[in-house]
Amino acid sequence: MRGKGGKDMKASKVKIIGKKKIKDLLREASQEWNVYVPQKWSDGDVWMDQLPKDKQMLDEALEDVVLEDVDTVISPKDIFFPQLESIFKFKDDKIWETPEFSPKLIFGVQPCDLKGILFSDDFYRRNFEDRYYVSRIQNRLIVARGCLRPPRPTCFCSSAKTGPFAEDGFDLQLVDFGDSYFVEVGTREGEEFITMHKKFFSEPDGNYDMTIKEIKTKACDSLELKVDFQNALSLMAQDSFIPEENYRRIGERCIYCGGCLYVCPTCTCFNVFDNVKDKEGERVRNWDACVFEGYTRETSGHNPRKDKWLRTARRYEHKLKFDYKVTGLSGCIACGRCLSSCPVGIGISKFIQEITEKRKIM
Amino acid sequence: MPRVLTTCIYCGCGCGLYLISDGKRLTGAYPSRNHPVSRGALCVKGWNSYEFSNDLNRLTAPLIKKDGKFIPASWDETLGLVVEKFKHYKNTFGPDSLAFLSSAKTTNEENFLMMKLARAVFKTNNIDHCARLCHASTVVGLSLAFGGGAMTNSINEFKDAEVILVTGSDTTAQHPLIGSRIINTVKDKGAKLIVIDPREIQLAKYATIYAQPKCGTDVAWINGLIYVIIAEDLHDKKFIEERTEGFLELKRTVRDYTPELVEEITTIPKEKIIEIARLYAKARKSMIVYSMGITQHTTGVDNVLSLANLAMVTGHIGFASTGVNPLRGQNNVQGSCDVGALPDVYSGYQSLVDGDIRKKFEQGWRVEGLPPKAGLTVTEIISAAGEGRIKGLYIMGENPIISDPDSNHVRKCLSEVEFLVVQDIFLSDTAEYADVVLPSASFAEKDGTFTNTERRVERIRKVIDPPGQAKADWQILSEVARRMGYKGMDYKHPSEIMDEIASLTPIYGGITYDRLGPYGLQWPCPTKDHPGTSVLHKEKFTKGKGTFMPRPYIPPAESTDEEYNFVLTTGRVYWHWHTRTMTNRTSTLEREAPEPYVEINCEDAEDLQIRDDQLIKVSSRRGAITLKVRVGHKVAKGTLFIPFHYREAAANILTILAVDPIAKIPEYKVCAVKVEKI
Ligand code: SF4
Ligand code: SF4
Repeated sequence: MRGKGGKDMKASKVKIIGKKKIKDLLREASQEWNVYVPQKWSDGDVWMDQLPKDKQMLDEALEDVVLEDVDTVISPKDIFFPQLESIFKFKDDKIWETPEFSPKLIFGVQPCDLKGILFSDDFYRRNFEDRYYVSRIQNRLIVARGCLRPPRPTCFCSSAKTGPFAEDGFDLQLVDFGDSYFVEVGTREGEEFITMHKKFFSEPDGNYDMTIKEIKTKACDSLELKVDFQNALSLMAQDSFIPEENYRRIGERCIYCGGCLYVCPTCTCFNVFDNVKDKEGERVRNWDACVFEGYTRETSGHNPRKDKWLRTARRYEHKLKFDYKVTGLSGCIACGRCLSSCPVGIGISKFIQEITEKRKIM
Repeated sequence: MPRVLTTCIYCGCGCGLYLISDGKRLTGAYPSRNHPVSRGALCVKGWNSYEFSNDLNRLTAPLIKKDGKFIPASWDETLGLVVEKFKHYKNTFGPDSLAFLSSAKTTNEENFLMMKLARAVFKTNNIDHCARLCHASTVVGLSLAFGGGAMTNSINEFKDAEVILVTGSDTTAQHPLIGSRIINTVKDKGAKLIVIDPREIQLAKYATIYAQPKCGTDVAWINGLIYVIIAEDLHDKKFIEERTEGFLELKRTVRDYTPELVEEITTIPKEKIIEIARLYAKARKSMIVYSMGITQHTTGVDNVLSLANLAMVTGHIGFASTGVNPLRGQNNVQGSCDVGALPDVYSGYQSLVDGDIRKKFEQGWRVEGLPPKAGLTVTEIISAAGEGRIKGLYIMGENPIISDPDSNHVRKCLSEVEFLVVQDIFLSDTAEYADVVLPSASFAEKDGTFTNTERRVERIRKVIDPPGQAKADWQILSEVARRMGYKGMDYKHPSEIMDEIASLTPIYGGITYDRLGPYGLQWPCPTKDHPGTSVLHKEKFTKGKGTFMPRPYIPPAESTDEEYNFVLTTGRVYWHWHTRTMTNRTSTLEREAPEPYVEINCEDAEDLQIRDDQLIKVSSRRGAITLKVRVGHKVAKGTLFIPFHYREAAANILTILAVDPIAKIPEYKVCAVKVEKI
């Protein structure tokens, strides 16, 4: 897998940090960074939110930080690709851009989401460079956190080998070990971060390598949902293997909310529109989704994907076939979000089960 | 605060969602994972609900019309003018020369204040709102039959139903998070679905039985089902005996409705009638779901009463996963009725004819002489405004020019009314006719509560400030009252209004903001320690015994003839909301459905030699519109369907101003039209 653009991948080193120290670490780090970390709301919903800068508000927010069993509806993709963002503003004959480039520490990223971030990083720089996205990621540090248990019943990362621990791509990765975390160092930037905040970290004792290995194996075994992911990719690679009937049945059930695409860590489509009054306004972009009819409608009115099922097919083909062909990587990173946010129980894991196990489950 | 848990502004499902902001405007909307309705999902409208309120063309200052042009003015000048005019009309022509249209898009607190303003301050009961146009028949019908005009059961009970009968509701389009539950129950748990609808909607694909009746023949097929149920001894005798009254009368009425006769009236084959009756009656847990296909008829109340008969005769009511479930359309149409924005009741459906109730409100509001006579309904108010009987009309958050039947008539009336006040977030078609326009706050710019279709009172929370000088509706209404010299409408926060609602309204008695928490409470919630109610009429009906009220079939007001030979039925599409003032400012939604259209059956299209996408003219006795054709199988031969959202070809130019005699709901679902090529 490709490394993160511009960053050095270094041989893994390991440190250890007590769980109790995490809050203080985050407090200290937030002086230098905009820190994003999962926080629990009183109703139980968890969101990857930015920590406030104000001291008292920061203290309060730190009380809500959660790093275990975190199930955010949206992956952290919205930090770099917000649902709605400004491209430029204008008034009379003046135009100005409003790029965002703050330093971001993303703390507690799940391994599948990390894969999603790396996938999008690559996408937004592959052919042309999307300056709005790239400006948002230029100063970024990612602290991943492996999952001991799947946070969602719909997770199937072990089948796609995108989790429950990341092998690379992180600056640091936390491995849950009772009262403390082992901290795997992935890049020089990660190492520098540890040096900057060295009072919180110490050296692990004994045969920690073995312990970490055991933790990871156990975590892998905890995933109940298993699908034949590799087989699905090779089946999809064979053109016209999937019977049209499958897509038609799924397309019929779909209510076209767009949710599976909005929540997908690797979905990157946006629409552009202007918000104008008189001679003043703004060009903005917001999340789009390929299940919508208007997404492919041409100016003439003709639509190559007018039928719903064709749009359903497009989604699965894009994730499991074309992305794989173009990048060698699956466009699905097996986070299970599309299923857990679908009002009618459609999910890519079920699609994979249908085609590999040859049965109807949706 | 960058992220706030609130409630969706669109439909009556009442999904819990988080709005994200950058401090100045909204930048996103995400579903709540743990909210009992949304559960990590939203429909496309909810997902995109962050966009419209950012539109730079929001109303940002009060406007006064001078020489036909709107001129921005101060709040002081504008409200001064409103109060001066309204005071003058009240003193010169009496309180009933004024009328108030409230709004199911606004909060419970604001609806309560609107009715308080009308009744306590201006002393008129001329207060109504768009519930008149959607579920007035439900409020009347279910109150007569059961003692309460609301969904009897709850949204999460669909998953355990054995049979679901859906009629007159395009559920996946209009209540997507309920429609999706129905699909899941049918596909994943083997429940049986019966769909009875003049349009072959998405749910029809999942139906064990789909029947396509002729528009406006509902009483006939419902009576037909009851006929079969009684004839085949499938009725629940114990339930009928213990919990209901009037069964003999029902028996007498339905005995004429043989499957043969029903087939003749409705065109549903008699075998289907028998099959549906058996399927619905034999299961233990059968739910009825209906919406405007049932209510928007001159026989709206009859239709609702007949569905109530059907549920009672089979004992399918009073426990989980059963019941009669009207799906309320607007985000807060349940609540706006609950808090009394209706001409004949105070909050909690307490009758204003009852002297004791009036006294209670007089004491609560510290006023004297609350008017004892019921006021006018929406359509009556509009007509009275046209005739000069209403001099001052105050419309909050409604757009009757597009939403009410016979648009040309509405336009004429509103252009003739002496003084029109419109309070809204955009300059709507209706606002164009106003003398004064008041800019209000959107759902993201204020605190309050909405009550969803399952009677769940839920919080909405302020995320950002309103643009410019715009203010929350509750603040504007309070200010009008203050300027009228009334001291009882000064509130610091909407929670105080809810406390007042609770003190005067038994079904909301236990509701306070502190108790609502993230997911709200379902009424009836009479006391501060009451956990709320998910299933109504459990041991007994709210009114004691349930009453069978059999009705004979009466044909729609307007029938087809040689000239006007098509039946037109109207409705909505998934992508838009009502008069489109918000959804046409939402890029994704507007792009999906940018144009008006008319659905026509393939056979008719062939007979008339009309192609898909061709422009045609559709006219009724009241007016004509031109729009594109969509040829297909959704509607039966002889029927047309037009969504009413589009001002560019407003379906309501064609609809008829014929109303149900009791509920006064207009017959949007049937009128006679003709089709011409252009
Ligand atoms: S397709 Fe579904 S499971 Fe795969 S990455 Fe996207 S949301 Fe996750
Ligand atoms: S189902 Fe209704 S309440 Fe839920 S997101 Fe859609 S419009 Fe909003």
